[in-house]
Amino acid sequence: MEAPARKRGNFISRHVAAKSILGIVLMLVVFFLLVSIVGQRTFTRALLDQYSDGAFRTAEAAAGMLGGGDFSRFAQSGGKTEEYLAANTLLDELCNSSGATFVYAILPDRTDYAHITFIFSLMNRESSYTHYDFGYVRETTNDEYREKYRLICEEGSPRELVVRDKGYIETDPHITAMVPVSGPGGEVQAILCVQRQMDVLTSSRNSYIRGITLVLVGLAALVAAGQWLYLDRVFLRPVRRITDEATRFAAENVQSAVRLTETVKNRDEIGTLAASVEDMETRIQAYVGDITRITAEKERIGTELALATKLQAAFIPNTFPPFPDRSEFDVYAVMDPAKEVGGDFYDFYLIDDDHLCLVMADVSGKGIPAALFMMVSKIIIQSCAMLGRSAAGILEKTNEAICSNNKENMFVTVWLGILEISTGRLTCANAGHEYPVFKRPDGGFELYKDRHGFVIGGLAEARYREYEMQLEPGSKLFVYTDGLPEATDASGAMFGTKRMLNALNANAQARPKEVLAGMRAAVDGFVNDAEQFDDLTMLCLEYRGGAK
Amino acid sequence: MTATLTKNENSAVIRVSGRLDTVTAPEFESVLQTELGGIDTLTLDLAELEYISSAGLRTLLVAKKMMSERKGLSVINANETVREIFDITGFSEVLEIA
Repeated sequence: MEAPARKRGNFISRHVAAKSILGIVLMLVVFFLLVSIVGQRTFTRALLDQYSDGAFRTAEAAAGMLGGGDFSRFAQSGGKTEEYLAANTLLDELCNSSGATFVYAILPDRTDYAHITFIFSLMNRESSYTHYDFGYVRETTNDEYREKYRLICEEGSPRELVVRDKGYIETDPHITAMVPVSGPGGEVQAILCVQRQMDVLTSSRNSYIRGITLVLVGLAALVAAGQWLYLDRVFLRPVRRITDEATRFAAENVQSAVRLTETVKNRDEIGTLAASVEDMETRIQAYVGDITRITAEKERIGTELALATKLQAAFIPNTFPPFPDRSEFDVYAVMDPAKEVGGDFYDFYLIDDDHLCLVMADVSGKGIPAALFMMVSKIIIQSCAMLGRSAAGILEKTNEAICSNNKENMFVTVWLGILEISTGRLTCANAGHEYPVFKRPDGGFELYKDRHGFVIGGLAEARYREYEMQLEPGSKLFVYTDGLPEATDASGAMFGTKRMLNALNANAQARPKEVLAGMRAAVDGFVNDAEQFDDLTMLCLEYRGGAK
Repeated sequence: MTATLTKNENSAVIRVSGRLDTVTAPEFESVLQTELGGIDTLTLDLAELEYISSAGLRTLLVAKKMMSERKGLSVINANETVREIFDITGFSEVLEIA
């Protein structure tokens, strides 16, 4: 026996360790994704706060510088008055010293904030962008800016912030802090904006993500390796040992010299499994030993039984036709034991030239005891018959002989007939056996309810009566054992004497051999799949007439 | 086959049901061998006995022989199939059948 190859599925589906590690790695990935998302959020918010704080301080310083007076003096200066230029210089210094990229003061148009007019516009010297000229008018960048401008001008908001940190092609990520430039009465005169690049934010965020990814990969590798080693040592190696041992045992059927519980030392369920496998091997071996012994014993009994079957079959007349030189009668008989040997038997022999003795008998029970009893009964009946007794005399003498030594209370039912060949006179006696069936030359088969005596072997004082039948040329006799009417189909129904007579009459004119073949076919058809339960024995005699 | 034994002082009734054949006869015989000490009168109630084979008849013979030195054995309520088997085998003339 070879262990079936299990190579279906990929590497992961075939290895417990790989499955468990895959699970752990997946969990790690999910965990790190959560950590990095939360981390990145917090990180971004903290950095942004710091950024915007600086930008607002710059913006408020600039707004303080420009506010407090009438802003229109700057708006109408054309960018050329001394005061304007002085303010511009101060803003320029503020821009460069505060680290802002762009500092500008604008006048949004107050109808729909769709356009803005630049009054001051100062670019950091390190920036690659150029500033807008005085009085430059452009469209507001987008609706977000429009809304912020409106909030400052109409709602009196002191601070507004626009963050543009993703997905912008035309500009680098940046924030814009906006504060109002207020007049002497606190009215909003202009908006001062400070723009700061977020290059530090993005670069540090990228390095944060890189770092966390590296940690994740490293940790996953470490966990995978650790898990693999742990699983292999604690679970897989012992399980493999058990599997190998089971496969080996299946192939060799011999217990190994080294006990499995010595190589697998786990105290957990795997240890229990190893002990169970070991125990199972011990039991299987004992069982196999038993079976081998029993099989040998069974074979021996089988051989003996086969011999007994042959012996029993050879013990009764079994060559047909039995009397080839006698044309006055034709006889045919069959015996089919339900087990190897049976308790039924038929018998026939010539007592002298003119007298044919016919016997049909059935021993109580089945199998070997019945077969032994049958052999004895057959011999005693034949011995008595050969002494030239009458039919009833034979049964009585046989009964006495058997009763004298029958502690087991076995008995045998016997129908016995002696045919006077020259005249066709049949003298019969029945010791508790089934009714015989007769057929007149011009009629059909009919059950003959003869007088019954008690079974042979039951009571020492039993007496039997004789009756006579006159056979004409063409008359037939059919005798059988109870296995025939009591043949049972799968539903438990019995064949019965009615079906038996029907089967006989379907074949009424046939020779004895065909009569029995037809009966056998009828019984087989009725029983169908059910097992043959009882012995099936029958005999048919056809009388042809006395010798000329 | 089931054999139900009811004892009443010196008499006993065994109700036999089902099939009494080669397979079940030994069981019935062991009931006879072990349970009938001190019983004078045995009645076999066969009302629910469906079928009796020759091996079953043998156990009746055993029962009859056991009771022959005591007051006796009687068989009651046998159905038609069983009664026919008794007739054919001559048991109906040997047993006290009611």
